[in-house]
Amino acid sequence: MAATTTPAAASTTASRREGPRLEIGQELILLVALTVVIGVLALTSERFFTVENLLNQGRLLTEVGLIALPMTFIIVTGGIDLSVGSIMGLCAILLGYGWKNLGLPLELAILLTLLVGTAAGFVNGLVVTRMGVPPLIATIATLALYRGLAEGISQARSVRGYPDWFLALGQGELLGVPSQLWLLAFAILAFGIVLARTRFGRSLYAIGHNETAARFSGIPVDGIKLAIYALSGFVAALAACIFVSRVSTTRSDMGSGIELDVIAAVVLGGTSIFGGVGTIWGTVLGVVLIQLLKNGLALTGVKGDATIVVIGTVLILSILITNLLQRRKGVEG
Amino acid sequence: MQPILDLQDVSKSFPGVQALAGVRFDVRPGEVHALMGENGAGKSTLIKIMSGVYEPDTGIMRVDGREVRFTGPLDAQRAGIATVHQELQLFPELTVAENVFVGHAPRTAWGGIGWKAMRERAAEILASLDIHDLDVTAPVSSLSVANRQRVEIAKALSLHARVLVMDEPTAALTEADVERLFGIVRKLRDRGVGVVYISHRMAEIFALADRVTVLRDGRYVGTRPAAETSEGELIAMMVGRTIDQLFPKLEARIGPPVLEVRDLVRAPVVKGVSLTVRTGEIVGLAGLIGSGRSELAQAIFGITPADSGEIRLEGRPVRIGSAREAKRHGIAYVPEDRGSQGIVRAMRIDQNVSMAVLDRIAPKGFVDRAAEAALARDAIARFNIRAWGIRQLVGKLSGGNQQKVVLGKWLATRPKLLIMDEPTRGIDVGAKAEIHKLMSELAAQGLAILMISSELPEVLGMSDRILVMREGRIVAEFVRGQADQETIAHAMMQVQREPEGAAA
Amino acid sequence: MTSATLARSRPSAFSGLLRRLSSQETLLLLALVLLFAVVGAINPRFLAERNLETIFLGNAYIAIAAIGMSLVIISGNIDVAVGSLIGVLATLSGSIAVAGWPVWASWLVPILAGMAATSFMGFLTAYLNIPSIVVTLGMLSILKGGLISVTAGAWISNLPEGYGLAQMELLGVPVPIWAMLALTAAAALWMRYTALGRSIYAVGGNPEAARLSGIPRRRTIMLVFLIHGLFVGIAAVLFATQLSVIQSTVPPGLELTIITAAVVGGVSILGGTGTVVGSTLAAILLAAIGSSLIFINVSPYWIRAVQGVLILVTVLADLWRRRRHRAVR
Repeated sequence: MAATTTPAAASTTASRREGPRLEIGQELILLVALTVVIGVLALTSERFFTVENLLNQGRLLTEVGLIALPMTFIIVTGGIDLSVGSIMGLCAILLGYGWKNLGLPLELAILLTLLVGTAAGFVNGLVVTRMGVPPLIATIATLALYRGLAEGISQARSVRGYPDWFLALGQGELLGVPSQLWLLAFAILAFGIVLARTRFGRSLYAIGHNETAARFSGIPVDGIKLAIYALSGFVAALAACIFVSRVSTTRSDMGSGIELDVIAAVVLGGTSIFGGVGTIWGTVLGVVLIQLLKNGLALTGVKGDATIVVIGTVLILSILITNLLQRRKGVEG
Repeated sequence: MQPILDLQDVSKSFPGVQALAGVRFDVRPGEVHALMGENGAGKSTLIKIMSGVYEPDTGIMRVDGREVRFTGPLDAQRAGIATVHQELQLFPELTVAENVFVGHAPRTAWGGIGWKAMRERAAEILASLDIHDLDVTAPVSSLSVANRQRVEIAKALSLHARVLVMDEPTAALTEADVERLFGIVRKLRDRGVGVVYISHRMAEIFALADRVTVLRDGRYVGTRPAAETSEGELIAMMVGRTIDQLFPKLEARIGPPVLEVRDLVRAPVVKGVSLTVRTGEIVGLAGLIGSGRSELAQAIFGITPADSGEIRLEGRPVRIGSAREAKRHGIAYVPEDRGSQGIVRAMRIDQNVSMAVLDRIAPKGFVDRAAEAALARDAIARFNIRAWGIRQLVGKLSGGNQQKVVLGKWLATRPKLLIMDEPTRGIDVGAKAEIHKLMSELAAQGLAILMISSELPEVLGMSDRILVMREGRIVAEFVRGQADQETIAHAMMQVQREPEGAAA
Repeated sequence: MTSATLARSRPSAFSGLLRRLSSQETLLLLALVLLFAVVGAINPRFLAERNLETIFLGNAYIAIAAIGMSLVIISGNIDVAVGSLIGVLATLSGSIAVAGWPVWASWLVPILAGMAATSFMGFLTAYLNIPSIVVTLGMLSILKGGLISVTAGAWISNLPEGYGLAQMELLGVPVPIWAMLALTAAAALWMRYTALGRSIYAVGGNPEAARLSGIPRRRTIMLVFLIHGLFVGIAAVLFATQLSVIQSTVPPGLELTIITAAVVGGVSILGGTGTVVGSTLAAILLAAIGSSLIFINVSPYWIRAVQGVLILVTVLADLWRRRRHRAVR
């Protein structure tokens, strides 16, 4: 027995050194980065570090923030959902179409929108689980499909003239805070707790690290995947409603490219694109950091379109840095 | 005789682990030199150094007496050292011939691939190994495991390898294929190739090897001519002590049936199986790879639900459509492929142990971390898992300890029936004995155990009853003490036919 | 003994050829013929010369870009930045031409720039281990954002005489058709018969094994991206020289069309298999479907939905075929 103890004990030191540190690492780096960004922006522009501006930025990041939450779940399982922007577009169109063209009460149109969004996500989940199509390709296909449906249904017509109560969702305030931020805060809390503390969250990590072993342990892998893709569709539909309410109009190109912002935020937040690693808190930091960078650049006079250059750069750099850090720590297979 | 390859005083360390310290090893032309040692002894690090995957920290490597340094696998290949890794390194979409000549295809005068020459030479090499039944234009994805291995060996020969390193080549082979492999290895040896042969199976070592070198904990223990040593001595060298008995099965009171299977069918492999396992009983299931053993187990466990047939648990008929349902009925399954089906390497011991009982430790959805920690501490104490704590990553444990984690995970479900598929494959001798002891203790406590194993001594030593499976059916049954290795092997292989289709 | 083995190998090589013919390429060709027959019967104007010219000529650049994309996907990667890159390179070409550089430079520089850009992506993917989906998503936004903020989407006109490469003809056949046919044939032969071409399949099919067999995985992926850049560059020049003006924006959804063509063309999504002939056929099929919508009175706004359905159907068919293949064995 004495003989076998030694290798186990030897490897012990290695894992003790790297085990817990990695998880805290990424979020700490982000927190520092966020503080630095806020500090620099506050110094360069007077208009930046005001309650009014920050709350307004919160309003603007709500859609990305919401969609990033289920996206974190999906990426933690080793999947990806590129179709969220298209689902948003399809749902926005259906909201307007149901209300204006079908003459539904707006409440019912919202319900229909949420249902369709969930169904769209559910279809993604079905294609991934039942047909075994890799998520990247499955959702590239539905990205085209859902956007195509949105374009086909809308025929490039936009819908306007929503009632005031609906516009309050995206433009109103509650206790001095933009109304959709309350919703986002609640969602962050719920998603965060589910991922960190529950059976469901634990199963997501297990699936991301080793799907077969999870299946062999009796974890309902397919059911869980179906649930998170459907959830992603539902949240995209919710974001669509908030988006329509915020900008008072409906167009078929809504949400196009938002998957980029969302994935950038999630990955920047420390979630591994290979699955198994990531937290909701990291994602939230990622979302906030990207939005503030955009805002800060805009305030210092950079044109709006150039800010997406920043997102792309940040996305690549953040993974690059994580990779380098991990390699330095000598993670051996 | 001058060795072809000679390593002296080789050391290699990884962050936190000294994998090899002052090891020596040499291969002479025309010999089979076996390399043995428990898992974690440093065998795989040593062969990775020989094949140029790792560079040693210190030490000297000589080829034909000249000092060399390999900076990558290509260097080793050029020096005439070819390796057949455990996970075969083939390209499923390319043909046999292309795989044989991958990276060094014959060229035509104007630089293109010489397709015809390549096919002919691949066929020639295979023929020189007495392999005549392989179509060189077939894609490798259509071949059985044994045939893929032959392609790997042909690949090594196409490189004019003078040293062939084989890492547990028989791990995934059927008995008939093992015999054929031995024939090929002997042929190579007679041709003057030096073969480095890594295996856990003593019988193979004594059947093939000229010399045996043993490593322990990354250190060189000794080299013996195979003719002058014994199984006992080698085991003693490996573990640093003698083992009197490998398989300490205790007598247990055998009670009423737990599992009764009638005419179970799962296309295309399982063709109507009936069996019974009782409380306190260990039933050994022997059979060639491809005979349907694992498929039967996975049908009972609901991974690939049965097409037809009846499964009764404690007398009640049940329908099992998923692993989850099987678990709920009190069935546990320790799978064959530990790395991909059993453990989650990147997760901690506690998270692995609780994985099958999340329902219980998170009754309202929230994981009770105290209960989880208690569960893991229990498992570590009960199974003697060597780790620094419950938060250690399972990937960092040795194979034997990983297997104990899998056992801990499943015993936490408090099963009535435990199915173990190759419970000690790839596990060092010490941990193997511990797992066997554990199995017999569990049986003594009233657990019903169905054990699938390719190692006949294990089957003979552990089982109360032995079932032999062939071509999807149970073809023979023996009571403990009634059978020996020959009778079982005979039942397993009665029809001299390669289970080609089933193995793929 | 050797001759016996060889004798056996010959008929199976023949049956391999048959298998190949009964594959995706043949299916696509059949679909193409069927589409022309059916839509032509409903509305004969679909077969009018001007429309056929639009279909083939106007989409040759997509087929060419899809060849590069096929290589990228076969190697186990993806490039979602390809549409943005074409937009940027086309603008570059036009700007150079308008700035008074010689016409050949305005053709050559974008191709070199394209190769430089994809090499950079290949470098990040191969040597810094960033998954290609992340690299190219990032590049997509960098290129797109960069282009819009520099040019504000302005039109480039007053292009010099002799610039319109895509409008020229050689032996009575338009240059884009020549380019499409020649590049498809060259790429197909290269993929099928050269060591480098085969190593792309190896890297896509089993990267770990490729590394241990001494196939330089990283260098192969770099090479794939470099070649991809060549094709994208040529595609961008043909795209830029199609009309007498160039809009300096990213054509919306172009990357999707190109990926669709590559996937529908029989390039397995799992990496390791596929042919470039299929992707060219698929590009033409997609263009023909798009065009046919108008002739059978369906709003062209549905084209994207059709693309999505097509990818899904092909991918599912591919998986189904693999599964059946496995079950039979």
